[in-house]
Amino acid sequence: MSDTVTLDGRELPATDALLAAPARRARLLRLLEASSIWIVLLAAWQLAAIYLPLGDNPLIPAPLLVFSTLRESLPELWAGTLSSFAILIPGFLLATLLGVASGLAVGTVPRLQRIFFPFARVAAPVPPTVYIPYAIAILPTFQLSAIFVVFIGAFWPVFHNTAAGALALEQRYRDNAGILGLSGIEYRWRVVLPASLPHIFSGMGVGLAFSFVLLTVAELFGANAGLGRFVQFYADYADYPKMVAGILYTGLVTYLSMTLLELARRRALFWLR
Amino acid sequence: MSTGLILEGVDFAYEDTPILERISLQIPAGQFVTLLGSSGCGKSTLLRLLAGLQAPDRGSLGWNGQPIRGTSLERGIVFQDYALFPWMSVVDNIAVAIGKARPETGKAARREEAAEYLRKVGLESAIGKYPFELSGGMRQRGAIARALALGSPLLLMDEPFGALDPVNRARLQDLLLEIWEAASPRKTIVFVTHDIDEALYLSDRVVILGAAPGRVIADLSVDFPRHRDRRTLFDGEDFRTQREAIAETLAADTLRRLIAA
Repeated sequence: MSDTVTLDGRELPATDALLAAPARRARLLRLLEASSIWIVLLAAWQLAAIYLPLGDNPLIPAPLLVFSTLRESLPELWAGTLSSFAILIPGFLLATLLGVASGLAVGTVPRLQRIFFPFARVAAPVPPTVYIPYAIAILPTFQLSAIFVVFIGAFWPVFHNTAAGALALEQRYRDNAGILGLSGIEYRWRVVLPASLPHIFSGMGVGLAFSFVLLTVAELFGANAGLGRFVQFYADYADYPKMVAGILYTGLVTYLSMTLLELARRRALFWLR
Repeated sequence: MSTGLILEGVDFAYEDTPILERISLQIPAGQFVTLLGSSGCGKSTLLRLLAGLQAPDRGSLGWNGQPIRGTSLERGIVFQDYALFPWMSVVDNIAVAIGKARPETGKAARREEAAEYLRKVGLESAIGKYPFELSGGMRQRGAIARALALGSPLLLMDEPFGALDPVNRARLQDLLLEIWEAASPRKTIVFVTHDIDEALYLSDRVVILGAAPGRVIADLSVDFPRHRDRRTLFDGEDFRTQREAIAETLAADTLRRLIAA
């Protein structure tokens, strides 16, 4: 399409272009709004690095230094990511699997509610971090103990949300399942599970965020690789550019993982309109 | 052994509030009956009892000589809305019903048969779609297709067209009659509505329920010949007389309740 049209011999911008310009400006403005805090933080960081008298060992390394350090450390950080994910993924997946299965069972069988809920009320609020030293002592490898801790942390939010979703199952779905004669495993698989998916995904979101917290904390205790370990290691050696690079990188990995879960949620819940 | 529905002295209360009181009815197989009443008269509750979704406090319900206990594929039901599972495609919704009703049917055959029922209700365009992609009228067509696919000889319908616009409502009424009249033997249909015209147009018999608590206050037979035509029927003298009589019965019940309160 051409950018202009001619009317009575005068050149006028085509309607496409007329509409596109304000739309483009609005989009640009929105992008600016979304990144404003980042820009302010980056500027403040740069200024602090320049003007704060910190001597030879700057606690606040300049952004540019951090970014170049980040680039140099990428291979090491990538190895750390793999090591961390070897804990996070099995722990989180196991928690999701067992959390959903037990949540569905407890949410649909009143007797299991009477058995499980009194226990969950006491066990779930215990901060999983307190298990870390004992898990490390009792399990053969650090990886296993960290998986266990991540599992405990992610299990409860998934379990609670799944059970809540199953309990909140709308009467019309129960009725329809009853009419069709759906029962047992089939009823839970075809009706209760999909109907509870919105709840399940919010439980998984909380569980995944919590998994990252527990993972990095566990790595401070006894890992010889991993994202939390990277940060702790260079902090011990007062290599602050690397430490800060590690923090930024961990933040990015966490953000990307949460985004991936969000994409999965949207895909699974396409029917929710 | 008697065929059809038999209700004897059915009482039902919800948390000490009586909803239904001493409901006794005999509905022979193949009859199209509407339960008519104002909202809150317990007509939907009565339908839930017939479906076996709830049990009465007293009295008995029987279908073809068997007591009604729990749900059964013998008794299909269509609700006012949200009858289909939103996470399954329309065709899968119906294929699931077929799988339950006739488990010996293979997976591919189920889908084929489901598509057949969708064509029957004029939904061939929606075969691969999900309920959220359909209008309210199309969803109700899907719900009817599913109820038909179950093959239940007794069809319970709880204000199935209540949420539709007048045009779609009329279309689906015609569709329902067309399918019901064509079948042999005809299904027994218990149809709940609060719309007098709908009751008279569709059914062989109108059972009027009074409210608080729900009980039968009138039981009328509707004798207009079948293959009814909406326009000539609605203009007819008999229709108008019967319509007024029903309206008066309902108004008298409302008045009685207001005086009692």
